[in-house]
Amino acid sequence: MAAVVSLQNVVKSYTRGRQRVEVLHSLNLEVQSGEFLGLMGPSGSGKTTLLNLIGGLDKPDEGQITVAGERLDQLSGSQMAAWRARHVGFVFQFYNLLPVLSAERNVEVPLLLTKLSRAQRKANVAAALALVGLSDRASHKPTELSGGQQQRVAIARALIADPTLLVCDEPTGDLDRESAEEILQLLTILNQKQGKTIIMVTHDPRAAAYATRLLHMDKGTLARDETRTAA
Amino acid sequence: MKYLPLVWAALRRKPTRTLLTCLSIVTAFFLFGTLEGINVGIDNVVKLTSVSHLIVQSRVNQGAAMPLAHKTQIESVPGVTAVAPFTIVIGTYKLPSNPMIIIGTDFDAMLKISTDLMVAPEQAAAMRRTRNGVVVGVTTMQQYGWKVGDRIPLRGIGPKADGSNDWQFDIVGTYTLQQPDWATRVFANYDFVNEALGTGKNQSVLFYVGISDPAKSAAISQAIDDRFANSPDQTNTANEKDSVETTLGQIGNYNLLITGVCGAVLFTLLFLTANTIAQSVRERTAELAVLKTLGFTDAAVQWLVLAEAFTLAMVAAALGVALASWVLPWITSGPRLSAQGIGAMHVPNLVYAAAAVLALLLALISGVLPAVRARRLNIVAALSGR
Repeated sequence: MAAVVSLQNVVKSYTRGRQRVEVLHSLNLEVQSGEFLGLMGPSGSGKTTLLNLIGGLDKPDEGQITVAGERLDQLSGSQMAAWRARHVGFVFQFYNLLPVLSAERNVEVPLLLTKLSRAQRKANVAAALALVGLSDRASHKPTELSGGQQQRVAIARALIADPTLLVCDEPTGDLDRESAEEILQLLTILNQKQGKTIIMVTHDPRAAAYATRLLHMDKGTLARDETRTAA
Repeated sequence: MKYLPLVWAALRRKPTRTLLTCLSIVTAFFLFGTLEGINVGIDNVVKLTSVSHLIVQSRVNQGAAMPLAHKTQIESVPGVTAVAPFTIVIGTYKLPSNPMIIIGTDFDAMLKISTDLMVAPEQAAAMRRTRNGVVVGVTTMQQYGWKVGDRIPLRGIGPKADGSNDWQFDIVGTYTLQQPDWATRVFANYDFVNEALGTGKNQSVLFYVGISDPAKSAAISQAIDDRFANSPDQTNTANEKDSVETTLGQIGNYNLLITGVCGAVLFTLLFLTANTIAQSVRERTAELAVLKTLGFTDAAVQWLVLAEAFTLAMVAAALGVALASWVLPWITSGPRLSAQGIGAMHVPNLVYAAAAVLALLLALISGVLPAVRARRLNIVAALSGR
């Protein structure tokens, strides 16, 4: 399998007050196409920073990041935005849906950046909502949906542009156990049946059990890399 | 257009705040449209006045009656070509809500003096033949759906000489002006009105005077006033233009006043709108970051915020000016103004254009800082709440 994500000697630091804190230290990583990668580690270990770099939300201080064949460290801000729209779907812990838009309008937002007609967008949105089992909630606003349903809308939004990579930051962190199981099963289906490459940050060992590969981070480095059979 | 749902969504986020801001802008642009419409209307009044007509009024009190005998003396002043007295019947037509003022005058003299008054010759002749005849401005004819030959019943507010309050006039003609909207007066024969009046017979509230040489209007005015210098009914004569400008001058510099009020209102509005947009952007920091995450460029997010300010300002401004264009003719078409030959005022086209430009500027100035803030928004910092 080809590496869809490749990081070489990546260094990332932040400035907190007057202090410069190095969050990632010369990190190397390859993620193959079709993998379901779980990222675990204590708070401050650099999981979310790594996820932001892979998702094209941030740039490294040093090193090379290649995702879906593109050198992200060399892209300008607008090129990076266009690249994200085409290649990455994001799922956040707190869903981050637009509260005044209905579920279908939320899912449609990434497609507004494409040249698809209104009818095509509507058809794609209907298909995405059907995939996450929310066809009957299309016209509901986020506040009218449960946490699990909101996260499924967020997943539909992440999938709508058929991205190369799904980047999930604690996707079950705000959900009860039953809803969390449903979301994780949905991600597994997307990984196994649609071949989506998924990178998921989680603190929850039960969620991590769904990943086919688990990376443990500690103090900005990869402490352990284990390949496993998904739950 | 496809981004419109996002713009509307942003405006709908806090509907009460948006509505209140919208109402403020509507009010401001309503004021702007109305006041500027009045401003232009007043300028039109001045433009339509002439230096070749003199108006003789009582020196003691504008509108106070003078003896009809003044007419002969004014006619004898060198340079005067015609004199038309004005006596007035105030009443209502059919309903108390239709107030009406009829001007009893020497219509032939009026035609000589006001050359802009356009009447068909046969209708002018009919006016001479018909004692209770009236010639009505086209705007008033349209307003009441009258036609030549109709009989107008009028309920006067004061009793006639015969003790009744009922007047009947026959429409024998209609007149128009270069600006037909302003053809609003109803002219009757002085003799007919004068004979029927219960009080105030043989009097005139003003004399309309035609002169041979407009360049001598000041000298002729002085000569007229000199004639009555020792009379208990002294006069104050001025050409029509000076008379109107003097009256308007008593209000003060209305142009500056109106422009000042509009300017102050719009300037205040700028801060209000800017605050609304800025607050809205601050509250949506995470949402804007999500849009950027999904692939919206910095510039696209900036334009969305500007579009939000633009939509709010343009929609509300359009509503405000539309309201002004509906209300202004309504509030400026009263019988008192009609009797003075002042037609309904309208919001001029220039004001629509000016309102569009002002709304655009309002949107730009109030939206630019929040838009720049949205453009500079760092995704990682915004999503982590920093």
